[in-house]
Amino acid sequence: MPQLSRRDFLRLAALGLGAATIGGVLEACKSVTTPLARPTSSRPGTAAPATAAAPPPTPASLPPATLIASPTAAASAGYPDLVVVRKGEPDALVRRAIAALGGMERFVPSGASVIVKPNVCVSYRTYEYAATTNPWVVGTLVKMAFEAGASSVKVMDYPYGGSAADAYATSGIAEQVQAAGGEMVVMSDRKYVSTQIPAGKWLKQTDVYDEVLKADVLINVPIGKVHSLATLTLGMKNLMGVVRDRSSMHGNLGQAIADLNTVIRPDLTVVDCVRILTAHGPSGGNLDDVQKLDTVVASTDIVATDSFVATLFGLKPDDLHYVGFGAAMGLGVSDLSKLKVADLTA
Amino acid sequence: MPSRPGWVRSRKAVQAVALIAFAGLFLLARRDGLPGDLVNVPMRLDPLLTIAGTLAARAFMIGSVLALATLLLTLVFGRAWCGWLCPLGTVLDMFPVKVGHGQRPAVPEGLRKVKYILVVLILFAALLGNQTLLFLDPLTILFRTLTASVLPALDQIARSLGDLLSQVPGLDGPVSSVDTAIRPLILPAEPVSYQDALLFASFFVALVALNALAPRFWCRYLCPLGGFLGLISRVALFRREVSASCGGCGMCAEECPTGTIDPARNYASDPAECTVCMTCVQECPLATVTFTPSLSAAEGRPYDPGRRQVLLALGATAAAIALFRVDLFAKRQSPFLVRPPGSRESNPDAVALTSCTRCGECVRVCPTGAIQPAVVQAGLEGLGTPVLVPRLGYCDYACNSCGQVCPTQAIPLLSLADKQRQVIGKAYIDQNRCLAWSDHTPCIVCEEMCPLPDKAIKLELQEVWSPDGGTVSLQMPHVVRDMCIGCGLCEYRCPVSGDAAIRVYVPQLAVPI
Repeated sequence: MPQLSRRDFLRLAALGLGAATIGGVLEACKSVTTPLARPTSSRPGTAAPATAAAPPPTPASLPPATLIASPTAAASAGYPDLVVVRKGEPDALVRRAIAALGGMERFVPSGASVIVKPNVCVSYRTYEYAATTNPWVVGTLVKMAFEAGASSVKVMDYPYGGSAADAYATSGIAEQVQAAGGEMVVMSDRKYVSTQIPAGKWLKQTDVYDEVLKADVLINVPIGKVHSLATLTLGMKNLMGVVRDRSSMHGNLGQAIADLNTVIRPDLTVVDCVRILTAHGPSGGNLDDVQKLDTVVASTDIVATDSFVATLFGLKPDDLHYVGFGAAMGLGVSDLSKLKVADLTA
Repeated sequence: MPSRPGWVRSRKAVQAVALIAFAGLFLLARRDGLPGDLVNVPMRLDPLLTIAGTLAARAFMIGSVLALATLLLTLVFGRAWCGWLCPLGTVLDMFPVKVGHGQRPAVPEGLRKVKYILVVLILFAALLGNQTLLFLDPLTILFRTLTASVLPALDQIARSLGDLLSQVPGLDGPVSSVDTAIRPLILPAEPVSYQDALLFASFFVALVALNALAPRFWCRYLCPLGGFLGLISRVALFRREVSASCGGCGMCAEECPTGTIDPARNYASDPAECTVCMTCVQECPLATVTFTPSLSAAEGRPYDPGRRQVLLALGATAAAIALFRVDLFAKRQSPFLVRPPGSRESNPDAVALTSCTRCGECVRVCPTGAIQPAVVQAGLEGLGTPVLVPRLGYCDYACNSCGQVCPTQAIPLLSLADKQRQVIGKAYIDQNRCLAWSDHTPCIVCEEMCPLPDKAIKLELQEVWSPDGGTVSLQMPHVVRDMCIGCGLCEYRCPVSGDAAIRVYVPQLAVPI
């Protein structure tokens, strides 16, 4: 056995300590440069007229809430505020919806890094149980992002029951995403960054997944499900999947979700209503609780998608607290009569 | 002295292969790893575990025939298992603790007796349905230490290192790739914690440190498996012989790792102590040492346990087991002594105790770290048996791995559908600590988590008193006892700090009246 001399030992120890010190310094630097969410306007080459007037982001402040959403500007470009597509296979529903919104190129500039955030809550339900987003809806979005020129498309969620890898496989999402060339990412504990929520009324700070904040494009793909506290879990609530501490949000869930939505701004929300879960959400488990609607609802306005999908459950937008808070904070429009809705069939 | 190619080199090669195989099967004992029947092969090769398990459970597992291979090996070559195959023995060989430059303190030869007495204790206790002392089996020691101490500690180091390196510009990507590509193959997906990880590590370190008193101290004096194989080796076919041409240089006695070569007896050795390491065969300058077939039984040694000592051991075993069974613990077990799925059902009396050999395969394979080796929770008798601690990890609704790896079916083999119906325990809400019940704070996390299709936790909308003098409308969780299976996901995720406000208790057993 080779002998480690005292000198060698000390040398190694000094090296190790040096590395640790450098690491510590870098760690200290990191806390100063806490990444902040960029407004949609900062995305390279984004053609959305809605954001053309937004000022360049400054690290010290977030865009004011009033600048966050302006669906009327989108409408002025000729696109509907919200698209509903019914009757058809999941991929056809998605393609029709995105086409009606102006095509994926409107959201995904060439070379952009894209994150698709489905709802993959547990590892023990296949997609038929409507606990997890339809795999073909997710897969088609990945495919279309690449067709629009995305440089990378990552798909991620943080399941609360079972491991992420198992959940990705069981839900069927991994297969469709990988077939489309996308990457399934198991979210890493170390990639959450402390994020201030200046516009937040209740939630002022939370740890958000770094990659989600840094991605050029965020596509939010929830599935319509019932939830005992939130009433329904749709687009706005789906973003809870990218924060570390979700349980503390339950104390004032509606406001906390709206607050979170001021810093995480998906470029596009596509609510999967191919199947919806009408009872025992969010994890389900009874096919009797599943209703097949063969519908997707898409918009750049996350408040609008959630408001519309509420009606598919026989509810009013205001029945969802977070929708009410979100509309009040200027995150989007919940009054369906004020939206230009394209109701199509695939 | 330069080592010549030969026996010692071959033995070391075999040792390395066996250790790597053991470590490989250890790492692959996980969900999506190798099939359970393959990963528990080392445990089944261990004849002490197998025979004690068979005696205690009074049931023969077909996989137990593997132990015959080790018995046969021992009947032909003596304790070759110890010298050539045992992974713990190999690890002990790797740490030859040197003490200064002087002589080691003399260890009394009589200490060799301990391992034989342990064999008597273990086998007799097994006959009486107790396997507590199997926590001293070398394979269970190594496996448990790797599971509860070494791997989690390595995981900690890897995580810290990853945290550090990912701060270095440009290394973020590679670290991520390692995290996604390599980590899941070796380390737990989520950090897992084991109660008394430090204790298991200390025990192991102490065992290695005993090498300072004598090489392979554990194997010489204490190891019950070594003792068991040693007893068989007394009638083994091949025996170490020293021919008449021996020059009496004493080199073999000096080099023998078990110190069994006695210069006073013409350098003869005790087959029960010799691990067939072949060092003496290779090192003898006159090549006088051979292993030759012999049909006679080995002669007795002063340290062999006497009749009186064996009788004393038998009596002590019977007394100890009787005391275990009148101990308060046997009458009133901890309400939190939740066992892995099905083990309580299959052995309604003593649960995992009778057929559990303390091998720790279930602890290793549990993906969430829910299954923990008991130290005190299951009483002295239940040392090393598996307990499910939901605050540390939950029983994954999509997993039935523990029953698949258990070599004795102390945890029964359940299909996933059966496991999803298997009652492990029952959740109870502590309304004095529950956020909804006591703090008037909306929280439905337990209901949300419940994996059952119809949810065993229901919410009741109540108008309740609020501190400002008015009332507030809140959803109050209730557990539907008949539905709850006790998976513990609610307890694991309960946002209350410290002990959860919803806890899984041992289910009520049907008590015959």
